[in-house]
Amino acid sequence: MAHATTIKNPGNFEVSGTIKNLLLAFVAIGIGTFLLSLKLDPTRAWASFLLNHFYFMSLALGGLFFATLQWITGAMWSAPIRRLGEALTAYLPFVFVTFLVLYLGVPKLYLWSHLEHVQGDLVLEGKSGYLSVGFFLVRNLIAIGLWVFFALKMVGNSIAQDDTRDYRFTEKNRFLSPVFMIVFALSFTMASFDQLMSLDPHWFSTMFGVYCFAGMVYSAFAAICVLTLYLKAQGKLDGLVNENHLHDLGKFTFGFAVFWAYIGFSQFMLIWYANLPEETGYFIRRMQDGWMAVSAFLLVGKFLVPFFILMPRDAKRNPRVLGYIGGFMLIAQWIDVLWMVQPEFFKDGPRIGFTELGVTLGFLGVFGLLLFRFLAKNNVVAIGDPRLEESVFHHHQ
Amino acid sequence: MDNQSKVPHLAGVIGFFSDPHQLLRATEKVRDSSYKHFDAFSPYPVHGMDAAQGLKRSPLPLVTFAAGLTGGSLGFLLQYWTSVIDWPLIVGGKPLNSWPAFVPVMFECTILFAGLATVGAMFLLNGLPNHKRKAFDPRITRDQFALLIEAPVALEEDQGVKFDEGKTAEFLKSIGAKEVKSVYSEGWF
Repeated sequence: MAHATTIKNPGNFEVSGTIKNLLLAFVAIGIGTFLLSLKLDPTRAWASFLLNHFYFMSLALGGLFFATLQWITGAMWSAPIRRLGEALTAYLPFVFVTFLVLYLGVPKLYLWSHLEHVQGDLVLEGKSGYLSVGFFLVRNLIAIGLWVFFALKMVGNSIAQDDTRDYRFTEKNRFLSPVFMIVFALSFTMASFDQLMSLDPHWFSTMFGVYCFAGMVYSAFAAICVLTLYLKAQGKLDGLVNENHLHDLGKFTFGFAVFWAYIGFSQFMLIWYANLPEETGYFIRRMQDGWMAVSAFLLVGKFLVPFFILMPRDAKRNPRVLGYIGGFMLIAQWIDVLWMVQPEFFKDGPRIGFTELGVTLGFLGVFGLLLFRFLAKNNVVAIGDPRLEESVFHHHQ
Repeated sequence: MDNQSKVPHLAGVIGFFSDPHQLLRATEKVRDSSYKHFDAFSPYPVHGMDAAQGLKRSPLPLVTFAAGLTGGSLGFLLQYWTSVIDWPLIVGGKPLNSWPAFVPVMFECTILFAGLATVGAMFLLNGLPNHKRKAFDPRITRDQFALLIEAPVALEEDQGVKFDEGKTAEFLKSIGAKEVKSVYSEGWF
C-alpha cells in the first residue's frame, strides 16, 4: 500500500505540570497516611498496603501480559495501542520496593510466620517447609526479578525498533514471548498463592492463581482503554487509533469481564457444592455481615454492569462509554482485591476510610508518575512496528 | 416455473474484477451512483464490503440477545419448577432453590437458544434455503470477483425507471471491470 508517508509519529507525551504536582501530592499523602496508620492501626495499614501492592503489581504485569499476547500472536489490530500496555510496565521495577516494604509487614499479615501458631497445628506444620519467611522472600524476589527482566528486555526491543524499524526486534520478542508466558503463569500463580491465599494458611484453592490472573487481565484491559482514550482526547493518537481499534479493545475488555466471572463463579461453585469444611471458610467469611454486600457488588458491579454495557456494538465504538466503563472496572478490580485481603482481618465488614484511600492515592501517585515518565521518554505509539501501517489502514481499505 | 420466467428477460449486467480491492472501490462507486439494485460476489468475505455496499446493520444481534435471555430464564424456570415445585427433594443438605447449581444449566440454555435462534433467524433474513437460484458464473466461487447491477423489476419499469443495457455495461467498464456481460433471468431469478 502507498500509505507509508501518511503515518505521522505522534512522538512522546508530556503530561501537564498540574497533574504531575497532583501525583506528587498523592505520593506525599500516601506515605503520610501509611506511617500515621502504622501507629494508629497497624493491621489496617498493612492490609491496605498489601491490597495496593498487589493491585498495582497486577496492573503493571497485566500491561506486560497484554503486550506479550500481541507479540506471541503476531497481532495486527493492536499495533497502535500496544505501546500503552508496555507503558504500564514502567511501574514494574518499583514492585521490588513495595515487596520489600511488604516484607516488613509479614509478621503482622501472615499467621504462618509465627512459630507459636504453627507448632501443634498439623496442617501448618505440614506446610511449614513452603510457608517460611526466608523462602517466601527469596522466591517472590526471584519472581519479580524475572518479570522485570522480561519487561526491560521485551519493551526495550520494542522501543529500540522505533528508530531502527528493524523487523528483527519483532522476531526477538516473538521468541521471548512464549518463554515469558510459561514463566509468568507459574510465577504469578505462586505470587498470588503466597501473598494473598496464605493470609488464611489453612485454606487452599487450586483456582486461586487463575482467579487473580483473570482480575489482572480485567484491570489491564480497563487501564489500556482509559489510557488510550485519554491520549486520544489529548490528540496524541489522531489518525492512528480509530473506532475500529476501540471496537477490538472493547471486545477484549468485554471478554475478560466474562472470563473473570466464569473463573470466579467456578471457584465459588465447586467449593459451595463440595461443602468440605477445610475449604468453605473462605466463602463463609465473605458471605457474612458486611461482606455479603461486597460479594454482591462483585457479581453485579464487576460482572453484570460491564457485561450489559459493553454488549452493544455502538458502546464499544463510543470513546465516552468505553472510557467510563474502563474507569469503573478499575475501581471494581480494586474492590475485588480488597475483598480478597480484608475479610481475613475484619470479619464484620469492609474498611474503606482514610487509611485505605490515602495509601491507594500514594500508590496511584507513584504509578502515574512512572507511567507518565515512560510516556515522556518514549513515543506513545510503536512507530517502528512492521504491522503498524497495516493496522492503521486496515479498516479503511 | 411460471410462464414469465420461460421467456428469458434481461436481469442485469455483470462485471468481473480480478482482485478484491478493485471490487471494493467499484462497489463504492455503484453505491454512490443512481443504480439502486446491485450485489457483489466474491469467493471469500471481503473486509469492508458491508460499508461499500451501503448495507444497514443486520437485526440479527437483537435476535441473539432476546433468545439468549429467554433461554437463560427458561433454564432457571425449568430447574426451579422441577426441584422446588414439582418434586421437592433435599440433596446434600442444600436448599431447594440452590441457584448456584442452576447456573451451569442456565448458561447452557442461554447458549443453546441464542445459537439456534441466530442460525434460524439468519436463514430467514437471507431467504434461505433457496433451491431456485444458482450461481450464474462458476468463476465467482473460485477466483473471480463480480458486481451485478440488476435491471429494475417490472413495477419500477411501470413507474418510468429505464434500464439501458449498453450504458450500464459502459459504466461497469469505466469503474474497472475487465469483462462485462448481460445476465438473463433463466435459472437465476
